[in-house]
Amino acid sequence: MKLLVIEDEKALADNIKSYLSTNEVICEVAESYQEAIAKLNVYSYDVILLDIMLPDGNGLDVLHFLKKEQSEAGILIISAKNSLDDRVQGLELGADDYLTKPFHLSELNARLKAIYRRRKFQGFTEIKFNEISVDTNNHEVSIEGKQMELTVKEYELLLFFISNKNRVLTKQTIAEHLWGDNVDFLDSFDFVYQHIKNLRKKITAAGGHDYIKTIYGLGYKFHNN
Amino acid sequence: MRLITKATLLYLFIMSLVFSISGVVTYKMVMKRVAIETDYSLAQNMDLLKESIKEGKPLDALQNQKTHIVKVQSIQPRDTLYKYAFSDTMAMHPYFKRLEPHRKMVITQRINGEYYRFNMIDIFLETDDVSGGVVNVMTRLFFGLGLILLVCSFLISSWLFQPFQKTLQKIKTFNLKNDEEVSFEVTTTKEFKQLNGFIIQMTDKARRDYISLKEFSENAAHEMQTPIAVAQGKLELLLETPNLQEEQLPLIQSAQIALSKLSRMGQSLSLLTKIENNEFTARETTDFSKLVNQSVLTFKDIAELKNLTLESNIEENITLPINAAIADILVSNLLKNAIRYNLPDGWIKINLDKKQLIVENPGHPPKVPTNQLFERFRKSNQSGQSLGLGLAIVKKICDVNHLKVDYVFEADIHRLIVKFPV
Repeated sequence: MKLLVIEDEKALADNIKSYLSTNEVICEVAESYQEAIAKLNVYSYDVILLDIMLPDGNGLDVLHFLKKEQSEAGILIISAKNSLDDRVQGLELGADDYLTKPFHLSELNARLKAIYRRRKFQGFTEIKFNEISVDTNNHEVSIEGKQMELTVKEYELLLFFISNKNRVLTKQTIAEHLWGDNVDFLDSFDFVYQHIKNLRKKITAAGGHDYIKTIYGLGYKFHNN
Repeated sequence: MRLITKATLLYLFIMSLVFSISGVVTYKMVMKRVAIETDYSLAQNMDLLKESIKEGKPLDALQNQKTHIVKVQSIQPRDTLYKYAFSDTMAMHPYFKRLEPHRKMVITQRINGEYYRFNMIDIFLETDDVSGGVVNVMTRLFFGLGLILLVCSFLISSWLFQPFQKTLQKIKTFNLKNDEEVSFEVTTTKEFKQLNGFIIQMTDKARRDYISLKEFSENAAHEMQTPIAVAQGKLELLLETPNLQEEQLPLIQSAQIALSKLSRMGQSLSLLTKIENNEFTARETTDFSKLVNQSVLTFKDIAELKNLTLESNIEENITLPINAAIADILVSNLLKNAIRYNLPDGWIKINLDKKQLIVENPGHPPKVPTNQLFERFRKSNQSGQSLGLGLAIVKKICDVNHLKVDYVFEADIHRLIVKFPV
């Protein structure tokens, strides 16, 4: 996946770059509107991460540019403003998703991958993780061909884990991914454990391995070995 | 007291002083004039008597109660020949039979080689009559003028003070939040010109300060989100580094939680500012029943994870003239509150009817009076993770949308009631 990060805050762009850069993701950074347009004129990207507030132009202008160029890149807007109007305007101009600062990098990662999947494999999308395969079109999970019954939250949790495999996910990150702003008021996110437990039980019952490793006091990691 | 009433009363007081003094002066002048006239008539009478004596009329025939003529042999030193001596005296009034003030004239004249002393009196104009007349005239003048003054002052003042009244009205309706410059009609009165000038200066400054404060709080709220995002990202990267010690993990997590609290605080404060600035005006009516149902559905999951039972009794088709986004925040905050301050294995009851929305849950008694919990950063438990802004937002939303919100704690049950306008 080729990713362009348009973000003027260098420290934030660095964070994103170091977190996302893996074997599968090539990440480039543009720090201004001009630089972004220059890059977009020459290269093509799968996904563009766009900060709506840039020093030398509005991020929405980048959206206009991409629309004019009939770009096929997926677009994720990040903004410090949590305003409905900005969100609606961004999505109307062809952005795929909208994320408010501050965000968890794991959340950003999951959203970028979701956009990538939607854009790249429009028809059939299947994510495989060893014996587990997830059909994101029909929201179905199967282990070695055998279909599993998961609740909506369990499905989202599994997808979040696979998107962030081998990464540490805190309980807070998981809770906010599953319930969004509705849990920000809680002192403890221990209740996440219930869903983890159920998911674990269902996977092992269906003959899968238990990939979810508990990191004591902190959270969980979806681990390959 | 109105300014014009004060001024009129003051004028009336000064007027009464002036009229009293002029009454006294008038009285004195009149009395002096009367004395001169009486003296003149006494002197004329004396001339007539002199003629009669010359003609040889007998003295007795000329005498009467008011006129005494005596033939004197020689001029005594106290006598004044040809010289009029006037004085005031009291004499018996022939009809009233009482002493009345009279004017007296004494003079000695030489007629046909003989000396006659004339001693004549004449009734003086009565002082009572004069003072009565003066008082009468002065009183009439006073009341006449007073009445005219009153009528004029009230008529003129309404015209004179018109610019002032308009200025007052402008100040009364002035609202910092309406981004409107204050302007006044042109007036020719210097004082009002100055006043209007000062007010324009003051309101302009207040408006500028308010706008910059508003911009500051808006900018501060979202400008701080980027550094928070940076710090949060660094912590996540730190979590990814190999060979992390187990005791380092809780430190990272605490830092993450503190950062997210900081971020929420910024967002909540900016939300409060936005509500205050009427950025969520109700252009539509919101199906409140549907909204509460949705919220209940959203939070049911979380409530159950915390082992709370959620019971709702929601009447259908209740609509309110409120912005949907803001109504959602209102209901969510009430439910979040009920979940957060519940007892272990507790319950939440939500009741919606035409009159009100009630959210109740069991809980510990609040440590501060319940109505104070609507204030910013007021919390029952100061050390808790809560921001202390949830209920402040609820209150602000209710205030802006003409809803009434009450917090009641009774028999270990917290009850939040939002009353709808009738």
